[in-house]
Amino acid sequence: MCIVYLIAFLFSLTSEQCSSKLIEDSSQSFMERMHTGKTSFIYFGNHVNPTIKLFMEQLEMSADALQDYGISVVKVNCSEDAIANYCTGEKLMTKAYLFRGSEVLRSFDIDTVFDVNAIVSHVLFSVLFNEVRYVHTPAELLRVESAAKQNSDIVVGHIPVLGLPEHRALMEAAFVYGTKYQFVQTTGTLVLKHMGVVDPSSSQAWLWFLHCKGVSRRSDPCPSIPMRKPLNTINIHTFLQLMEAPLVTEAVLDPSDVDVVHMHLGVPVLYLFSQLQTQQLDWATAQTLALQLRGEVGVVVIHRDGPNVKTSLKYNAAYRLPQEDVKYFTLNSAEGVVKLFKEELLQEHKFEDEEEDEEHWSDLDILDDEVSESVYRDRDLMLDLESVIELTSDTFQITVTQNDITVVLFYFKWDAVCMAFIQSYIEVADALEGMNGVKLAAVNCGEWTDICSDHNVTSFPTVLIYRPMAAAQLYKGMLGTKSLHRFILLSLVSNPYLLSSSAEVMSFLEGDLYSKHMYLTPVRVLGLFSSTHDMGVTSFEEAARLLRGETILGLFAHKEAEQWVEGLSVNLPALLVSRSPGVPYEVYSLPSSSPTDLVSLIKQVELDRFPELTVENLPWYLELGKPLLLLFIGKEDSTESMKALAEIKQLLSSGQLDSFLPCWIHLGRTPVGRSILEKYLGFVPPLPVLVMSRLKTGEEVFLFPPERPLMAKNILQWIHDVENGQEQPAGLIPDGKWGPPVPFFDFLAIMDQEAPTYAAQRAPKMKTGGREDHREQKHGTPNQRQTPHPSPNPQAPRQHSEL
Amino acid sequence: MGLMSVILLCVLSLVLAGSGTGLHGRNASVSHEYCVLGAGPAGLQMGYFLSRSQRDYIILERNAGPGSFFQIYPRHRKLISINKIYTGRRNKEFNLRHDWNSLLSDRPNLLFKRISQELYPNADDFPRYLSTFVKELGLKVKYGADIGRIKASDFNGNQGYILTDQNGVSYQCSVLLVSTGLWVPQQVDFLGSDLVEGYESIPTDPEEFKDQAVLILGKGNSAFETAQSILGRASRIHLYSPSPVRLAWQTHYVGDLRAVNNELLDTYQLKSLDGLVEGRLEDIAIVRREKDGGKRRTAKKRSRTSTEGKEQLYLTLTELLDQNGNNISKVTGQNLPGFHTDNFSLRQPYDRVVRCLGFRFNFSIFDGSARPPQSSGARGRLPGITAWYEGRGMPNMFVLGTAAHSRDYRMSAGGFVHGFRYTVRAVHKILEQRYHNIAWPATKLPISQLQSWILRRVNEASGLYQMFGVLGDIILLRGSYCEYLEEFPLQAVPQLSALSGQPLTDHGLLVLVMQYGLNRTDTLGPGRAESEWTKAWRSNFLHPVLYYYNTLPTDKDMRQRPVGWPLPRPESVHHMVEDFLTEWDQPISHSQPLRRFLEHCLQTDLRAFYAESCFLLSLTSRTPPLFCRQGYLRKQGIVGNSHLWQHAREAGLMADHHGHITPGHDTSVSEYLKHADAAVVSTMNFDL
Repeated sequence: MCIVYLIAFLFSLTSEQCSSKLIEDSSQSFMERMHTGKTSFIYFGNHVNPTIKLFMEQLEMSADALQDYGISVVKVNCSEDAIANYCTGEKLMTKAYLFRGSEVLRSFDIDTVFDVNAIVSHVLFSVLFNEVRYVHTPAELLRVESAAKQNSDIVVGHIPVLGLPEHRALMEAAFVYGTKYQFVQTTGTLVLKHMGVVDPSSSQAWLWFLHCKGVSRRSDPCPSIPMRKPLNTINIHTFLQLMEAPLVTEAVLDPSDVDVVHMHLGVPVLYLFSQLQTQQLDWATAQTLALQLRGEVGVVVIHRDGPNVKTSLKYNAAYRLPQEDVKYFTLNSAEGVVKLFKEELLQEHKFEDEEEDEEHWSDLDILDDEVSESVYRDRDLMLDLESVIELTSDTFQITVTQNDITVVLFYFKWDAVCMAFIQSYIEVADALEGMNGVKLAAVNCGEWTDICSDHNVTSFPTVLIYRPMAAAQLYKGMLGTKSLHRFILLSLVSNPYLLSSSAEVMSFLEGDLYSKHMYLTPVRVLGLFSSTHDMGVTSFEEAARLLRGETILGLFAHKEAEQWVEGLSVNLPALLVSRSPGVPYEVYSLPSSSPTDLVSLIKQVELDRFPELTVENLPWYLELGKPLLLLFIGKEDSTESMKALAEIKQLLSSGQLDSFLPCWIHLGRTPVGRSILEKYLGFVPPLPVLVMSRLKTGEEVFLFPPERPLMAKNILQWIHDVENGQEQPAGLIPDGKWGPPVPFFDFLAIMDQEAPTYAAQRAPKMKTGGREDHREQKHGTPNQRQTPHPSPNPQAPRQHSEL
Repeated sequence: MGLMSVILLCVLSLVLAGSGTGLHGRNASVSHEYCVLGAGPAGLQMGYFLSRSQRDYIILERNAGPGSFFQIYPRHRKLISINKIYTGRRNKEFNLRHDWNSLLSDRPNLLFKRISQELYPNADDFPRYLSTFVKELGLKVKYGADIGRIKASDFNGNQGYILTDQNGVSYQCSVLLVSTGLWVPQQVDFLGSDLVEGYESIPTDPEEFKDQAVLILGKGNSAFETAQSILGRASRIHLYSPSPVRLAWQTHYVGDLRAVNNELLDTYQLKSLDGLVEGRLEDIAIVRREKDGGKRRTAKKRSRTSTEGKEQLYLTLTELLDQNGNNISKVTGQNLPGFHTDNFSLRQPYDRVVRCLGFRFNFSIFDGSARPPQSSGARGRLPGITAWYEGRGMPNMFVLGTAAHSRDYRMSAGGFVHGFRYTVRAVHKILEQRYHNIAWPATKLPISQLQSWILRRVNEASGLYQMFGVLGDIILLRGSYCEYLEEFPLQAVPQLSALSGQPLTDHGLLVLVMQYGLNRTDTLGPGRAESEWTKAWRSNFLHPVLYYYNTLPTDKDMRQRPVGWPLPRPESVHHMVEDFLTEWDQPISHSQPLRRFLEHCLQTDLRAFYAESCFLLSLTSRTPPLFCRQGYLRKQGIVGNSHLWQHAREAGLMADHHGHITPGHDTSVSEYLKHADAAVVSTMNFDL
């Protein structure tokens, strides 16, 4: 009966508009009003034009509405009572003010508060400023959530445009329920995405109820239920009632006698009959169903053993639609019931879903793969393969033995990835055109399938490097212009470079030797052995061959090699790494191991300890599996950024970041970094920004507080706080499964519909080879007839006579 | 002449027997692991595979050369198997789709086109080709070994076979591969069948049929071939058999009447004195009319004028003949149908009646212990075999070639060279697994490569194309990768694991099959082809179909499969819409629907992403999409260029980073390349 009252109250909020409650103040009454401390919304005007006239009408209507919230709506005629500060100045006529006592809470342009809904929503929003939280980003919402956990539930309203009826409905609800629930208002599409709205661009208002009060652990997320009806006062009220109603109600009555709140709210009710033996199982089923149907259907469990339950045993469930009788049915699966409700009984939704589906199917012919689509858009482009030799079965063998290096691309014309790569391949070929000893060639495997099979190419595109008298080398790098180009140029360098004196070693490490390759890679790796007879030398040489095109390696097997590790904690054989000229070398001891192990060792020591992450190098660093300490730097290399880099470098050298991968992204060179920040935090804060992302171990992203200076000690403290759980995460990395991006186009279902028996398995007794019997039946023998007369034209025997 | 060749044969066989065994006496015995019976195309095809895998085998051939069937047949010496040497393509696998005469081998030039350039080659060219095949591959064929008796025997607990030839030499075979073809002319017993000439012995000179009325029993290719050859000489040709003509271009079965031979349809429909009649063969009788009976004078007169002493033959029905004694020498007018029905179609007499009813398997050489049962289909003319071509109830005996056609009689190409060359290959793989524990070859592919691999097969594979509905590619899903098995016999799928030696997992499997459609429309009429991929299942022409199963279908599933289907109802199915050019490579109609089907089966996103997208996804989701995991994160990302990214961004598929204009990025790449030879020290870190 409390409900009835509430409904009446809410109705009164919207419908009671009998007589005008708009007060006109004189300067005297205005002064008195200033002393009462009450809230009032006041408009000061001095004359009336058509615009103002419309506004006055709306103001009058709002007076009725706002009265219920104890807010007076007042107009002051400045031409009669010139009130200081308000009746003067340019803003006169175009502004309205919200007062609490004599204090101005907020002023509004009358363009903002253009009608009754806008007035009520804006005024209430200002009044409820402390109660209703306004959030922009998922991170902010998460903060509200974690504060509310185990404390109160949250109502989140997404209002695309302020001042519309939906906004008013939300504010009115906040006014009524503000003490009970934490209200949150948002306008940002980022939050929409976070809440799982598929199409955030539509300007639809949304409301969710987050069950935060009941979460058992603070780390659990609050289950959120969207309101599926239009945002208006009645619907919000009903929805909140439904959220409050128990998830599952128990009863020992016949369905028609059970009284649950859902019946009064015009919501269907689902009844499940429970048996004593299966009570627990039934209860679990009811819970699952109730969770899935929450907000749309009420769930009641009826214990069959109750004396008042008369329902026939052949049914195990029933439902009752509003204003209808109970209908009984047999439940086979929980999914079946959900389907029944979602697709059939909740008619409105069915309609919406269908519309969505239709849109999907009409999109079926649109390519949704970025590589395919971009290649498809080039379909009228003739590829200029001039600089690439197209190989055939006849020319393949000769070509690959003719040049120092023949690079061969194996591709399919109809494979989008191949065709996207071939553009890069041509770019490389153009850049290398005229260079002696290097030739780029391609094999179309759609035509020369035998070549591709003979070379065991099973993955497309594949790039193989052929050298005379050597096995083909598989190119394992990024399939892009830059990487391939660098690889080919580096492949021309003999690897390892045999160094014969300390002077040469110096020249090698400082980049004077191979100086023209400096721009390809500044890193030089040197193997130091005491003599050429060292067992490790052959292994090192083999490793160097395997690393051809990737790393420039030098070999110094000489008695002077000892000098280079003198004073270092390492004995020969050793590995010396020069990252770039002028930078101190790093030294590693070289265990005797197989060439492939050596390759991975060299690859590992080559990695930068504080790398700039780029699209091309990220996989090498992600492989390490460490949490990232990621610094985002803006386009302009500001001093702040430089300082931040230096601070982290300092921490790095002191060894305090060993469990992390400290790295940075330059948003100028790697613009996609901006999208990463957005995904992490929901927005892009001022740069530089330091973020900790535990990709492999957790889902949380932590943001170094922007207000704190990016200093080594602050960073250490922050890391410490994060590890101790004292920092709130600023964002989440979803562990979303990459399922099929579009619904399945089910041929079987279509067959079943259009040709029901076509795709059905046969009944057990039918036999396959029924042909013979069939034929005998059809083509009756001459002696079956009274007058034997084999028809010369079996298909149209009757037409025969007309010839 | 004849004597000479007989002597030569004897000498040859003696020499061969001698060299083979080192013994000259009777009752010599040799043993081989594999004995291939018959050096026709199927036997030689199997010989090639056995020789390639270096097995102990012998091919036994009763005649002096390979493919002797083709020395005689087709009688009119024109092969109707297509030898299309120009396809506009250089893909060797694809070209086999249109080469119906070559056998499979690893010699790229060992193709039939070397022998003949004719689209419908002369039959003499085929044995010549087979001889070349034997010679160049060095196959072990023993000619002149006429096996008259085959009996089963126990070899160390396994059933083996002992073959005895005309000289008493016996061959002990652990595995017997029967590729004897079909040699015995099919006959139907009716009164007067002795008055009928057989296709095998009719004269091939059309002049012999000058002004003759000819009744041909049968409506297959041999009947029409005969009719076609005499069309310009015979006065009247009637074709009689139980079923109406089935046109290969309507049924897609190459054993039905090919358009190459169908000129008689023209002369029939244009009323040029030829015709087709349906009726049971068992009910007819071919008779000579009794001269004493009826009206003597007129009869005498007519017989004198029409033919030179040859008596004419009448077709009548057994029920009209005297029931007592079946004395067909006393036929009077009353015994002929025309007496009762004045406009009976076949009331006029014939000068010749020719039987063209095809051939049957020679069961007679098999001892009771080794005789495979007669097939249930194909009027029992063929041996009954299992789905993996082993004789029913005859372990270790496999039937190859035309004799194995009962598996796909009237369905597919298993009875013809261009079909059985693939089934022979499949049987060989089964042999390797069963007797040598070498599993069916499988290509291991990462899932991200599956789509392009399927497209490759669909666009070039000849075995799937020729043996549509019978052989299919099996894709065993294994999580992040799959095993791809080519051209497995579909009916044997329930025994997949045992036959292929490939273990099964619970990830399910895909089967790729080529098949014709429902064929419910007029073959040449409107609406015969479907071009909308969403209606692909209504495709009429040959098109690829993929079946997805959670678990391997059982024998029972297979028996109860939907009518006309090669496989049981799957979890889900995908038809790739038929293509006019048989090129299934278009992004919207072919690739994308295929990708989405695979996505459904694998429950994963299979879209491709540029490296930049993978970079974003790798840093912002814990498990990026498969393409990024199997490409980018293995350092093999597809980078693309600004031009392509622009397209992707315009399509709304790739994230645009707040209006950061990409051309700037592009210039840096091209500049980078420009400076390729200059010593530019970059501050950028190019470390990998």
